[in-house]
Amino acid sequence: MLLQILANALALGAAYALLALGFVLILNATGAVNFAHGDMVMAGGYVAIAMGSVLQLPGALLLPLVVAVMALLGFVFSWFAYFPLKNRPPVSVFISTIALGIIFQNSANAIYGAAPRKGPPLLSEGNFGMGGITIGAQALGIVVVAIVLIVAQHLLLNRSGIGRKLRATAQDREMAEAVGIRVNRMIALTFALGSALAGAAGLMLSNTFFITPTDGTNYVIKAYIAVTIGGWGSLSGAVCGALIIALFEVLFPSLPLLIPPLKIIAPWLFTQTASTILLYVGLLAIMFFRPQGLFGETVQRRV
Amino acid sequence: MKVSDMRRNNRRRDNCIGLLVATALVACPLAASAQAELNLPILVPITGFLSLEGTSQRNGALLAIKNAPSSVKITAEVTDTGSSPEGAVTALERSLSRGKVSAVAASMLGTQMLAMLPVALENKVPLATVSGTADITEKNNPYVFRFFPGDAVAKGAHVRYVLEELKKKRVALVYQTTAYGQSGRKHIVELLKKAGIEPVMEEALDVAVKDMSAVIGKVQAARPDVIMLHLHGGPSALFIKQAGAAKVNLPIVAGSGMSQPTTVALMEPAELKGLCAETNAAPVAGGSPQMDKFLAQYRAEFKSEPDGFAVGQYDATSMIIDVVAKGAKTPEDIRKALSGGSFKGLAMTYKSDGKGNMAHSAVIICYDGKTRMPKIVKRYD
Repeated sequence: MLLQILANALALGAAYALLALGFVLILNATGAVNFAHGDMVMAGGYVAIAMGSVLQLPGALLLPLVVAVMALLGFVFSWFAYFPLKNRPPVSVFISTIALGIIFQNSANAIYGAAPRKGPPLLSEGNFGMGGITIGAQALGIVVVAIVLIVAQHLLLNRSGIGRKLRATAQDREMAEAVGIRVNRMIALTFALGSALAGAAGLMLSNTFFITPTDGTNYVIKAYIAVTIGGWGSLSGAVCGALIIALFEVLFPSLPLLIPPLKIIAPWLFTQTASTILLYVGLLAIMFFRPQGLFGETVQRRV
Repeated sequence: MKVSDMRRNNRRRDNCIGLLVATALVACPLAASAQAELNLPILVPITGFLSLEGTSQRNGALLAIKNAPSSVKITAEVTDTGSSPEGAVTALERSLSRGKVSAVAASMLGTQMLAMLPVALENKVPLATVSGTADITEKNNPYVFRFFPGDAVAKGAHVRYVLEELKKKRVALVYQTTAYGQSGRKHIVELLKKAGIEPVMEEALDVAVKDMSAVIGKVQAARPDVIMLHLHGGPSALFIKQAGAAKVNLPIVAGSGMSQPTTVALMEPAELKGLCAETNAAPVAGGSPQMDKFLAQYRAEFKSEPDGFAVGQYDATSMIIDVVAKGAKTPEDIRKALSGGSFKGLAMTYKSDGKGNMAHSAVIICYDGKTRMPKIVKRYD
């Protein structure tokens, strides 16, 4: 039972991690919150559905195409939401991202309608039985793809010249410009990278949990919380924060199944509603007592 | 319907809406001074989490307007209320400020209805809705008319089917945390209690909950012999899909969310096997020449499948048009006619119970696991 629950939490957390990573990449590069990031997840889901219906390919083969389209969308997005306002106060940028997010939502509604849609599975929708637990092929696929993308993103940032330029831009834009780095190009690239990760998450989540035009709002809140819990600006922290959210959503309400006395002592505490309340209480506690996030400075490393 | 077809159809839908409104206006010659006039704003959630249901409402109202007799000149402007109460109130106040409103086809979202009720009372304008939220007709507001079985009727059918037809006694109840979910849960628990039954397990889910493995695990641990769902469409499909993956082999009787063709389209026919749901009507199942005609016309106009909300709003709008054609001139005339008269609609015969509850019938539909086409297995009048 525990393994089954952990497997579900891990799959959910892996998708959230991709979402949070893209969010924090853009946050670090621009210093502004991209409130349309959740809508990028939604857009990735719809791009996958559109491509899947035309190409009739499984999600795993569509993934590179979806990532490419979403990277392009992220690049274009930066020219509308960020660059025209980059010298204004940060509030201007996040309002522009809210506006673009709403445009995305309404465009998706106009094109696809309001009904939930189901994206293509990565490979299949069957289940694997392993040691007494049943793991969905899609859930397993999400974990594998998320690990591959997170490692690829890590290698890109830490083992490549372009990664060093991206990190330099995130750490100090003026200094990066002074040493000859084309800062605007790096920021646009960061939007592309962040949106590509969001698109990948969108493809995977759209099959498991369906997708509607308004889902982005929920996803951006998850990303925001993950980053706040993990440590504002920390990549590793964002991944850990995403996993913590997934554990709260899946493991915490399941605790009475693992520890039966809890069902008698405080059944009201282990409901889905109570676990959501507790997650946000925990978030507030972190903001009060450890504003740098759980993983704080020790793991914090800007892009 | 294929996904590609549905996408193409959705693109065409907005054009159809404009065309329908225009048709309704053009169909009324200016010279016809004897024509009765009806100004019927359609204020429904076209965006937001209930946009699917709101779109059905809009389509039902527009189709009824299209089928209106030429003796009634109708003005019907569609406004998106979003999903916030203030969005609905703003839309209503804007419509009222633009001219003489006869009646309103109002949002099916309970929280929006609750916010619009005082405005309707103050301006003495009838609201015709398909909201299932029980509270809207419990406020002693004579200007609200519900053309969808309220919880007392719908949940009555839901519970009776479980107890009388399935003969189940160990009920696991999963419901939504929204006003709709809590209202339905209250009725289900009360009705079960009257039968001497307490749910062996119950839990509320927020609409944002995607992974339902925790609640499914709790359902299994409680060893029920039936699962009753009172969730919106998308969450219902997620629950049923994830319960199937977890090999939960129990009969599931869902709320009206699982009667919506767009929700059913998210699942493979095999995943629907044994699933039943309560609703006011199942237009895709046909059942009468009038319903078959409605179904064909709806498909032709909107290139999508109608659900119970579309039928309910079609009937509501048709009744308003009918009373206007029969001489109701003012909003007060319409209110009196809706309060006192009865109307044979597509889904049922509507008559107010004195509180504005017009619909007193519900049906149970079931899926056989071979197709996505439901079959009406029980009718409760």
